[in-house]
Amino acid sequence: MSEDLDSYRLKARAWLQSVAPTFGKAALKGVPEEEHLAMGRRYQRAKFEAGFAGIHWDPELGGQGLTPLHKVIFEQEEMGFGMPIGYFGVSLGISVPVVLRFAQDREWARERAVAALRGDEIWCQLFSEPSGGSDLAGLRTKVEPDGNGWKLNGQKLWTTFAQHSHYGVIIARNDPTVAKHKGLTFFWLDMKAPGVTVRPIKLAAAGSPHVNEVFFDDVKLTDGQRLSPVGGGFGTAMATLMIERYSASDPTGFGPTTATFVDLAREAEVNGRPAIEDGRVRSAIARSYAMRSGLEAITTRAMKMMAAGMEPGPEGALNKLVSVRSRQKLSELAIDLMGNLGLAWHPGASSKDDWVESWLAAPTGRIAGGADEMLLNTIAERILGLPQDHRPDKGVPFNQIPA
Amino acid sequence: MSILYDDEQQAIASESRRVLDARMDKTRLLGLLERTGAFDKPFWDTAVEQGWTALAVPEAQGGLGLGLIELGLVAQAAGAATAGAPFLTTNYGAICALLASGNADLQGQWLPKLASGEAVAAIAFAEGNAPLPPEPRSVFAGGHLSGEKPGVTAGLIADLAVVWCHHEDKPALVLVELADARRETVDSFDNGRLFADLAFARTPATLLVEGDAAQAAALDILARMAVVTAHEQIGGAEALLFIARDYANERKAFGQPIGAFQSVKHRIAELYGLVEIARANAIHAAAQEGQPGFLKAAAAARLSATEAYDTAARDTVQIHGGAGVTWDSGLHLHMRRARSLAIEQGNMLFWEDLLVDQLMGEAA
Repeated sequence: MSEDLDSYRLKARAWLQSVAPTFGKAALKGVPEEEHLAMGRRYQRAKFEAGFAGIHWDPELGGQGLTPLHKVIFEQEEMGFGMPIGYFGVSLGISVPVVLRFAQDREWARERAVAALRGDEIWCQLFSEPSGGSDLAGLRTKVEPDGNGWKLNGQKLWTTFAQHSHYGVIIARNDPTVAKHKGLTFFWLDMKAPGVTVRPIKLAAAGSPHVNEVFFDDVKLTDGQRLSPVGGGFGTAMATLMIERYSASDPTGFGPTTATFVDLAREAEVNGRPAIEDGRVRSAIARSYAMRSGLEAITTRAMKMMAAGMEPGPEGALNKLVSVRSRQKLSELAIDLMGNLGLAWHPGASSKDDWVESWLAAPTGRIAGGADEMLLNTIAERILGLPQDHRPDKGVPFNQIPA
Repeated sequence: MSILYDDEQQAIASESRRVLDARMDKTRLLGLLERTGAFDKPFWDTAVEQGWTALAVPEAQGGLGLGLIELGLVAQAAGAATAGAPFLTTNYGAICALLASGNADLQGQWLPKLASGEAVAAIAFAEGNAPLPPEPRSVFAGGHLSGEKPGVTAGLIADLAVVWCHHEDKPALVLVELADARRETVDSFDNGRLFADLAFARTPATLLVEGDAAQAAALDILARMAVVTAHEQIGGAEALLFIARDYANERKAFGQPIGAFQSVKHRIAELYGLVEIARANAIHAAAQEGQPGFLKAAAAARLSATEAYDTAARDTVQIHGGAGVTWDSGLHLHMRRARSLAIEQGNMLFWEDLLVDQLMGEAA
């Protein structure tokens, strides 16, 4: 790794350590939701002022003009501190970049970018619907011409942090008489506009709600809010999903570390013998470590390829698929080792340290951002060239597909 | 630190694949399974001619002075072709042992011969499921070795062996010429590996290293061989992945390619995951050669490669249905090799334990 990147890592680490007492894991412990959000926004502001926001964005847009690799390095360092960064993932990772790329009013887009980087404004992404989860193009939210602009009606689902968002990007159906991929159009939206209702969803896992249902009742949009050609929204949505191709990966599947499990196995006993000497436990540790070290090596290699100006291979697609499933099983074994002491539950615990919380929250990781089954399809079809699933709705006008 | 292959290494990888594609013959390999004592001579001639035997020998001893990374790339190509001669791994182990001994005379005597392919070496460490038995049943005393080693890879035709034994109640590695030893053929499910039971009765031998140093050297040699074997396993697993993929695209059932059924399609996608994780671990381990984290990296590579190859063999046969279980399909060449390689450098239980011990050392 080059000297520049090494020194960047040290610089990032030093800054993170300096603000960790204010924003880190310990400072956030037990903080109520509103205050948590406020701390998140203050942390984002501090990042912006220290020159660690929009690391690979153009300086014209408030960024630092560095490479995606610098961003990954910063995020790798940031990961361990437990900073309140969750509110900005979709906002800065997906929604704002797509607005910057496609918005008609460039000056307005630039202002939004800076406001988002400073943590003043938050964006959400309105894709999923009750009837279209894995099948994004099956969505039913309707947008119709209305005077000089448009009128939006329908419902979105699983919208991350919609309740805190100032703006959102949305895809809706403008023409139900053509094949489902062809009748979609992409817009940006003011989340405080009349007719927008946000209702948080309580999930099985602990913690405050972070996903929402969002309802649209005759919401008015100007044509200036359109981000794609009319009927060309699906392509823009795909571009959106590709924008954030490289992000820091977490081989633990965002669960506890291997060392945390080893500590538990040292303390626990199985039938009167130390758990760490039990072959089943040792096997689980070894297999989990081997899987995680493989994912880490894939990421390191991808970073080196990027640093050398090459395109990393498609194996990066494995990260979420493999790591979250493994975290789910390891968390089950951890609760087994704790026995009935593991039945206790500590709301607000972090899924990075707490096995029960890790286990409760793991299913989300196997669904959000592409279910395991969709990721396997993607690997099979795009990487290995296996046939596509049978899709009976292919080429059929949307309004003729049986609901 | 993981690595990117440089131009020279990429050339070794593509050239070895090309040469083996051109020269390997399934019928010949199937023939080896039906008799004992034979090995894939054309593969070995190719290995010598291509300089693969010289890769890890120092330049001063007639070698190319390269290392684990290059050897791994060749092993990967050999694994894809189920090349039926085990010497790439065992010769490398012997080269490492000779270098660890610091004995210049022995190095001068054997390294050039190993480099040129004139001599073949075996590594006789394991007894049953213990790759490095704490109480080896062979004893070295007064320049002679006595005892037995079962199921030694390449033991049937090797000229010399590095033996894990006891010397004055301390562990030791000794070098022994096998012309003076008794060898008995093991009729195996993977006959091309030339497994033999070796017996020594006051056989002349030379001490290479003993005591704690022998323990450390033997473990290091085993780990290095395991990384080469991991590459070989990945080569096999990846070849199976492509065979399964191609078959699933061609073979039709119920009016469509079987690869369109998610039960088949997802099985193949899962194999891709196993192969890529194993590959990443193996490349990482090869790059860690001589570093403090090497044992841990080697263990991770060994575990994920073994899982990848066994699973690929199991699932690829399953995807082929009846065609997969015929002698002529040749898939059983991989199935057999997956199991023999899973044992040759120590089984999963050994490597899992070793890895956890390493991790505990770190956590303590």
